[in-house]
Amino acid sequence: MNHLPFENWLLNDMPVTPEQQRELELHLRNCSYCSALAETGKMLKTTKIVNPASGFTARFQARLRERKIADRRRKLWGSVLFTLGGLAFLMWILSPYVVSFVASPATWISAIVGWLVFLGTTLFALADAGRVILSVIPSFLPPFAWMVLLSMIAGLGLLWSVSIWRLVRMPQGV
Amino acid sequence: MNDENAWVLQAQRGSDEAFTQLVETYQKPVFNLCYRMLGEPEAAEDAAQETFLRAYQNLHRYDNSRSFGTWILSIAAHYCIDRLRKRRFSVLSIDEEDEDGLTLEIPDPASPDPEAESAKQEDRDRLHLLLKDLDETDRAAVVMRYWYDYSEVEIAQSLHLTVSAVKSRLHRSRRALAEMWQVEKPRAYPERRSRESLAF
Repeated sequence: MNHLPFENWLLNDMPVTPEQQRELELHLRNCSYCSALAETGKMLKTTKIVNPASGFTARFQARLRERKIADRRRKLWGSVLFTLGGLAFLMWILSPYVVSFVASPATWISAIVGWLVFLGTTLFALADAGRVILSVIPSFLPPFAWMVLLSMIAGLGLLWSVSIWRLVRMPQGV
Repeated sequence: MNDENAWVLQAQRGSDEAFTQLVETYQKPVFNLCYRMLGEPEAAEDAAQETFLRAYQNLHRYDNSRSFGTWILSIAAHYCIDRLRKRRFSVLSIDEEDEDGLTLEIPDPASPDPEAESAKQEDRDRLHLLLKDLDETDRAAVVMRYWYDYSEVEIAQSLHLTVSAVKSRLHRSRRALAEMWQVEKPRAYPERRSRESLAF
């Protein structure tokens, strides 16, 4: 059986003229498929909205509370496990040094003192070099270049502060 | 700015009271969508609750220029589609679920014609069961189109489909429902035909 144009009218819920309506009625009497199409369409349009059982919002609030607690607990356990794991890893990495330190502490202490002395002298040397550079550079750069440089640094600082502020104020969910 | 937008903005700033207002407003459409998608009130309740939790967690991603209703129904539809897909692969077959057509719609005994009302209810239950045989996305499109009067454009936005795909899915679903209806109820339509007009 040819269902056109009736199937098209029914599927697209097209408005029909009284003449078309009569034609459609006639077709529906003889066509079980189009009749089923019309009937299911009508049912779909008239079926009521189903409501949830009363107290839905209270149940949601309770569930949200539970979820928040579970999330907090998970985060806490996560950070505890992460810290313990990190400590264990650190111990594993440091264990050979610790063993050798315990075996001969004098060697280790003299090595550490030597290293600290080296660090101190290096820092002093760097500070001297920095002072020399700082006293020489201003004469090389014009004041305008200094202004541009300082403005750029200030702009970058502002950009960084704004992005941190935006990240902080963004709601992070539960 | 209307109340809803104000609640959304307050909720985005972290107000649980404002979000509760949104839950209060949208619980019915969200629950109904889940019920039509999943077929059982218990699963629908769980899915609706989960939908609101997901919305709460992702509120910062909500684009205020869109309708909140469309956004939350889109979350519900996607959640139900995922759940149905998982269910399809799980050990429990859909055929093993409650086939009694569990429904919350109780015919009103005080209505003028309780018998006709009861027959209508039976038809609605049958249609509800037939919906289960549709593809998950097709089912979501049908529910949005016929229960919420969503336009094809809105359905396309909610389900991340093209408008022509939505149209074709709706047509395919309507044809499938009609064919299943014929098989399920071959003798009922001549009786109804004599009583009432089916066209529109």
